[in-house]
Amino acid sequence: MFVGIDIGGTFTDGVVISDQEVIKLIKVPTYDDISLSIEEALQQILAGLEPQKIEQVTLSTTLITNLIMQDQLAKAGLLLLPGPGANPHQLSFACAYKIINGAVDYRGRVIKPINLTEVKEACQYFLDRKINNLVVACKFSQRNPSLEEEIAAFVQKNYPECKVLASHKVSGLLNWVRRANGAFYTLATQEACRTFQEKIKTTLAKLGLHCPLFILKADGGTLPLEVSLCYPLETIFSGPAASTLGALACTEEKITAVVIDIGGTTTDLALLLAGKPLLAERGALINNYPVPVRSLAISSLALGGDSSLLIEQGKLRFGPRQGPALCVGGPVLTVTDVLVYSGYSEIASPALIKEPVEETARVLQLTPQQFSEQVLQMFVAQLEAKLEIMFKTWEEEPAYRIWQVLSVQKERPQTLICLGGPASGIGKYWSEKKNWQVVVPAFSAVANAIGAALAKTTLKLDFFADTERKTYTTNLGGLQGTLAQRLHNIEEAKEFTLQLFQEKAKDWQLVPDMPVETVYAEGFNIVRGWQTTGRIFQIGLQTVPGIKGFLKGARQDV
Amino acid sequence: MFKTGLIFFPAFDWAISPTHPEREERLLYTRDQIFEEGILDQRKIVEYTPRLAEEKDIQRVHFCVPNIAAQTTTAHFISAGSALKLGDALLAGAIDNGFSLVRPPGHHAMRVVHGNRGFCNINNEAILVEYLRKKYQLRKIAIVDTDVHHGDGTQDIFYHDPDVLFISMHQDGRTLYPGTGFVDEVGGPGAYLKNINIPLPPGTTDKGFLKVWREIIRPLLKDFAPELVINSAGQDNHFTDPLANMQVSSQGYAQLTEELKPDLAVLEGGYAIETALPYVNLGILLALAGQDYSYVVEPQAQKQQIKQELQVERYIDKLIAYWQKKLAEIPPSKEELFSSKLIYKNSRHLYYDTDNIREQQQEEVSYCPDCPGVYQVISQSDRASGRNYYLKGISIPLYACSACQEKGYEIWERAKKEKGYDLCYLQDKKNDQYFREEIRR
Ligand SMILES: [Zn+2]
Ligand SMILES: [Zn+2]
Repeated sequence: MFVGIDIGGTFTDGVVISDQEVIKLIKVPTYDDISLSIEEALQQILAGLEPQKIEQVTLSTTLITNLIMQDQLAKAGLLLLPGPGANPHQLSFACAYKIINGAVDYRGRVIKPINLTEVKEACQYFLDRKINNLVVACKFSQRNPSLEEEIAAFVQKNYPECKVLASHKVSGLLNWVRRANGAFYTLATQEACRTFQEKIKTTLAKLGLHCPLFILKADGGTLPLEVSLCYPLETIFSGPAASTLGALACTEEKITAVVIDIGGTTTDLALLLAGKPLLAERGALINNYPVPVRSLAISSLALGGDSSLLIEQGKLRFGPRQGPALCVGGPVLTVTDVLVYSGYSEIASPALIKEPVEETARVLQLTPQQFSEQVLQMFVAQLEAKLEIMFKTWEEEPAYRIWQVLSVQKERPQTLICLGGPASGIGKYWSEKKNWQVVVPAFSAVANAIGAALAKTTLKLDFFADTERKTYTTNLGGLQGTLAQRLHNIEEAKEFTLQLFQEKAKDWQLVPDMPVETVYAEGFNIVRGWQTTGRIFQIGLQTVPGIKGFLKGARQDV
Repeated sequence: MFKTGLIFFPAFDWAISPTHPEREERLLYTRDQIFEEGILDQRKIVEYTPRLAEEKDIQRVHFCVPNIAAQTTTAHFISAGSALKLGDALLAGAIDNGFSLVRPPGHHAMRVVHGNRGFCNINNEAILVEYLRKKYQLRKIAIVDTDVHHGDGTQDIFYHDPDVLFISMHQDGRTLYPGTGFVDEVGGPGAYLKNINIPLPPGTTDKGFLKVWREIIRPLLKDFAPELVINSAGQDNHFTDPLANMQVSSQGYAQLTEELKPDLAVLEGGYAIETALPYVNLGILLALAGQDYSYVVEPQAQKQQIKQELQVERYIDKLIAYWQKKLAEIPPSKEELFSSKLIYKNSRHLYYDTDNIREQQQEEVSYCPDCPGVYQVISQSDRASGRNYYLKGISIPLYACSACQEKGYEIWERAKKEKGYDLCYLQDKKNDQYFREEIRR
């Protein structure tokens, strides 16, 4: 039995899934303190169930997202060691920074030492501004963390009132801007995360729940609650991941489809390709700042069922939400009203809005039918334009190897899975107008909670070793070190990587026999003066992405 | 917003041989540097996925012996195709300029290809030029080759084409492979001064490099007024390159790029894969994208002061003076250049360093008052091992007059019946049709 809880803006949904069926559905309000919503949701879920039958609870939480969006972050400053390269003042750092000397190159060699007087001055600069959370970010620190470590230790010793985090502890990704921003957001949200985690643990104990608790990540995988404290950022933007996995669970393995989730004010689009959600090529952005977080490729439109209909200079356009739809007691005519009027939605009687629709049509010198048609056509056109951009981005994903260029067979989906209130109406309209298969699954209203419940725990390891320098690094923050043994060939390197992977798999509480796939494995000869002086290995391992299971009979085609 | 297109194709799974300079490792550190900088997150730089060129794109330029398959691998198709893809994006207006950061390189590949020369089999820039001219009806294109080696392949392909201005600045051929690229190689009689070589002395620094650009190349480009400028962006003029002897830094390359403003830059050579490539490639990319590159300083350049020696400086000044004088002269007429017989004939030997082949060629271009005229080549390879081929190739230029086009087909029909050839080729660039016939003996 799997429990999924999705914390939304106004409501928190919960589902219990057993044997490919949803056996329980609950809904509670979302409170300011989301741990209260989780507690209430779990109480209702447990009513009449034996707690020991529950194998796992997975949360899709907005905790970090809310902190960031509501600007409740702890203040922090960056100590940056850019070394040679792009002008650091032209890069997108998410908070105040000071540039200091010291540099590491791509092989992890220190090419410029640090100057502690400068470090002191930088610390003082931030302390004077009442900023005592400091991030140290050095270009190529994943290849050699020594400069970051030295500075962090120095700050810790001389400024005990400061909290300091080195960027290599957060991510090993090749992108120091993302690492620096990632470290900033981690530092700025860690305290709130810790509090949240303690509250949840207390709640679980109180309810007698002893099963593992996981948090859904932006890439559609899950992470144990304890591990999420080290990587709090991984839990942002899990909502769209939850709905996409939910859509997948309600259809079938290997489906290729577009998932649209239409809410009151926004619409999210995602792609499922042969049963796998498409990931964003470079990772997530927070307030337009790049961070080292893998996330689904989600495209959002500021358009939803409650978008108002405005007439400006005799022309129709969409306006912001001013309340719910007119037909359910709102103040103005909305997209939803048009769906109701033209028979695509049955949430209210068309009679309720007959007059305002006809009136608006008259203003536009259209028949009510022409007017409705125009509204829906405009709505779908905007979706299509966004989709086109998504497809293009997907088709233009870079490839660095011959086999990648050759293996491309990118066929655009012709199936649409609709989620959210107004989605079924739009779905029906879409299926009439276009040659697409349209699916409006059962449980589409709780797709997010279903997605959370069925998400798999995932682990991806990008391993990089330089045998000449006897070092290895990975994408995981803090996982790097010295090669004690010599890796002679790709087979030995793979073996070594697999061992690292399995050690991490324990922390991640992965199922022991979970299949691991090799994404890439390559060896490079380091040749200097026609002599091979070492090898560089790059190996990518990951658990097979996907979900734990599919719901029986949930697919409903329009 | 100004946008720079980038195709980065390091071909992590392709090498000439495991320890050859053209191996998998070559762009590894460049990848590290460019990715680590975080600049690819900026919307100014748009990364595209590579694509494969088509056989026809190669036939438009080369006579591959005995066929395309024998001279290429998939990596070659991708390397050439990447440049084409950026060309399409540029002409569609999706980008304002582009950098095809790809391997394998191509600028030593000539029209006839018996094997690999200077790590090249097919010529990426030439394939790009002919593709763009055909597809978008462009006419005048300039190629500026800033690789340390003479771009002898590109020179060969466009030697008789008055609409392609080829300028190569490189280390003097008396001191470096391929041993050509002197000032007297000025283009065929129908394309006089459309081939400009600037052989620089060993030890040339940023200063000399930029001076040559500003005082010879820039005025030449202004005069020619091309519709498109392509840069063969080799990086082996770098002061740490193991194969050459120049003293140019990443700052010099970036500054040249900023001033040259190529529409498309295509990577050529550059084998200081650690000390130069990460920095030079980054510098070029930033310069193309209009970003500040002043912080791109390789660690060695911080330590050592690079100074241009006086004799190098004097030599460069003389070279500049030579070209300025030459370009100011009133050129002889096409008829004068063709001489009294109104036919251009040239016979030469070519050496393929990688594949150990000696090729013997007889070229012929017939005078036409209305167009560049039909080009013919008879070629024979002499290799240490493997089969030798004797072939004839005929090329009808893109802007041929109909009489020359017809003449091209007549020569082709005759050639097929002549005794001795193993292979005959006809390039009809005008109609974009290409023929190859294997003659069985
Ligand atoms: Zn070269
Ligand atoms: Zn003619």
